[in-house]
Amino acid sequence: MPTATESRAAVLTAVDELARLRSLEMLDVLRRGPEERFDRITRMAQQLFGVSAAAVTLVTDRVQVHKSQHGPMALGDGPREAAFCDHTIRDSAMLVVEDATEDERFATNPSVVGSPHIRFYAGQPLEGPGGHRVGALCLVDDRPRHFSEAEQGLLAELASWVQRELDRTAELDSAARVQQALLPRRVPEVAGYEVAGMCLPAGSVGGDFFDWYHAPDGQLVVTLADVMGKGLPASIIMATVRAVMRSTTRDGDPGQALTRAAATLHEDLERTGRMVTLCHARLDTVAHELHYADAGHGLMLLVRADGSAHRPQDGGLPLGVLPDQTWTEQVVQLQPGDTAIAFSDGLLDLYDGTLDSLEQIADVVRDCVDATHLVDRFTVLARRLGVRVDDVTVVAVRRTT
Amino acid sequence: MIELDTTQAADVAVVRPLGRLTMVHAADLREVVSGAVQDGRTRVVVDLGDCEFMDSSGLGAVIGGLKQARQAGGDLRIAGLQPQVMTVLQLTNLDRVLRPYGSVAEALRDD
Repeated sequence: MPTATESRAAVLTAVDELARLRSLEMLDVLRRGPEERFDRITRMAQQLFGVSAAAVTLVTDRVQVHKSQHGPMALGDGPREAAFCDHTIRDSAMLVVEDATEDERFATNPSVVGSPHIRFYAGQPLEGPGGHRVGALCLVDDRPRHFSEAEQGLLAELASWVQRELDRTAELDSAARVQQALLPRRVPEVAGYEVAGMCLPAGSVGGDFFDWYHAPDGQLVVTLADVMGKGLPASIIMATVRAVMRSTTRDGDPGQALTRAAATLHEDLERTGRMVTLCHARLDTVAHELHYADAGHGLMLLVRADGSAHRPQDGGLPLGVLPDQTWTEQVVQLQPGDTAIAFSDGLLDLYDGTLDSLEQIADVVRDCVDATHLVDRFTVLARRLGVRVDDVTVVAVRRTT
Repeated sequence: MIELDTTQAADVAVVRPLGRLTMVHAADLREVVSGAVQDGRTRVVVDLGDCEFMDSSGLGAVIGGLKQARQAGGDLRIAGLQPQVMTVLQLTNLDRVLRPYGSVAEALRDD
C-alpha cells in the first residue's frame, strides 16, 4: 500500500506530466517533420564535437522522437522508457554519461547492450511554454569520452539556440491567435445587403486587416487596410491602425474619418518608416449609396448587375507619406445585384500579379451567386497556393434587393 | 543589389537597384540613400531601369529616401520605370509626390 504522501506525489507527477505534454503540443513542432532551422544546429553540433550523432529530441507520453539528427550513427525513435533523454528532462541540468556501461541507470539499456551501442551521452534539456522540459539537444557516441567543462558550456550554448527557435514558434503562434481575434467574428446583418470578408496572412501574422461594425447612426462601416511590409512588425502597426480607425466612427463622412485617423497616426508611421494603404467605407442603406475614401489603396471593383465592371481611381495618398493630408469621400450608387469588392494586392498575386488580373477577379464576381460564395472562392484559391508571398484580404458588399 | 554612382556632380547621387526591390533589399536602399544625403548629395536619382519588380517595402524605402532628401533641402527623383513599378506607383497615387522621369538625364534637368 502506498502511503498518503506517496499517492499525493503520484497525483502531482501526473498533473505535471499532463502540463508538460500540453506544453509540447503547444510548440507544434512534432508533426512538422524535419526543419532546416533545427537541422543546421544538429549538423553544426555533430561536426563541432566529432560525435557519432547529434540530435534534437522530443519526449512525448510514450516515445522519444528525433526532431532532427545528424551523424553516422542513425538514431531511431523508440519507447520513452529506454530513452536517455527521458532521464535528461527529469532535471534542469545537463545530463552527462561519459561511459554508459559504467552507469547503473544505463548499463542494461537496450541501445547500450545492443545496436547502436551507445557509450557516451550528453543532453541539455529544452523547454516548451511554461518552462516544461519537453526534449533535449543531445550528443551520442559509440565510444566513451570525457566531456570537459568547456565542452559542456558549448553544448549549453547550442541548446539555447535551439531553445530560441522553439520559443519563436510558440510566440508567433500566440501572436497569430491575437491577430485572428482582431478580425470581425460575425457577419453584420444589413437588410437588403450581403457582406463577407476574409484575411489570410502569408506567414503566421501579417499587415493586412479588414473590419466592419455599425456606427452610432446605424450605418455599416467597412475598412480594409494593407500595412507596408510583412510579419510581426507589420502586425503591430496593423493593430494600431485598426484601433485608430475605430475611434472615428462618429465622423459620418469617410473622408473626414480618414483625414482624422491619418493625423493621429502620422507620427507613429513616420517614426517606424511605414506606409499604409487603406479603403474606408460607409453604407447608406436608405439612399443605397456606398460612401468611401481611398488612401492609395486603389484596389476596389464595382461590378454592376449587368456585368460591367469599373475600378474607382479617385483616391488620395497612402497614410504615412506626407503630413497634413486630407482625403475626400466619393459616392457610388448601388442597384440590386451590384457588388463592391475591395482587396489587398495579395489577391492580384493569386493571378498574374498585374492589373490584368482585375478582369479575372471581376469574372469571379460575375460568376458568384452571393457575397459569401464570392469570398469563399478567393479563400479556396489562396489556400491552394502552398506558399503565399503576400497577405490576401477581401471584403465584398452586395446589394440583393 | 544596389549600385551607387557619384560621378555626375558633387551634390548628385544616382542609386541603381538591380533586380527585385523587395523587403530583402529595401533596407540596403534606405542605407545607401541615407549615406549619400548625409555626404551632402541631396539630389538623389533612383534609376529603376534595371528594377523589374518592386513591392510595398521597396516603395516605402524610396519614399523614405524622398523625405530625407527633401529635409536636407534637396529632392529625390525616379527614372526609367518598368511597367510593374509604374503600376504600383499609380495604384498607390504616389506618382503625385514622386513624378516618374524617362531617364536619369531628364531627372537631373532643372524644372
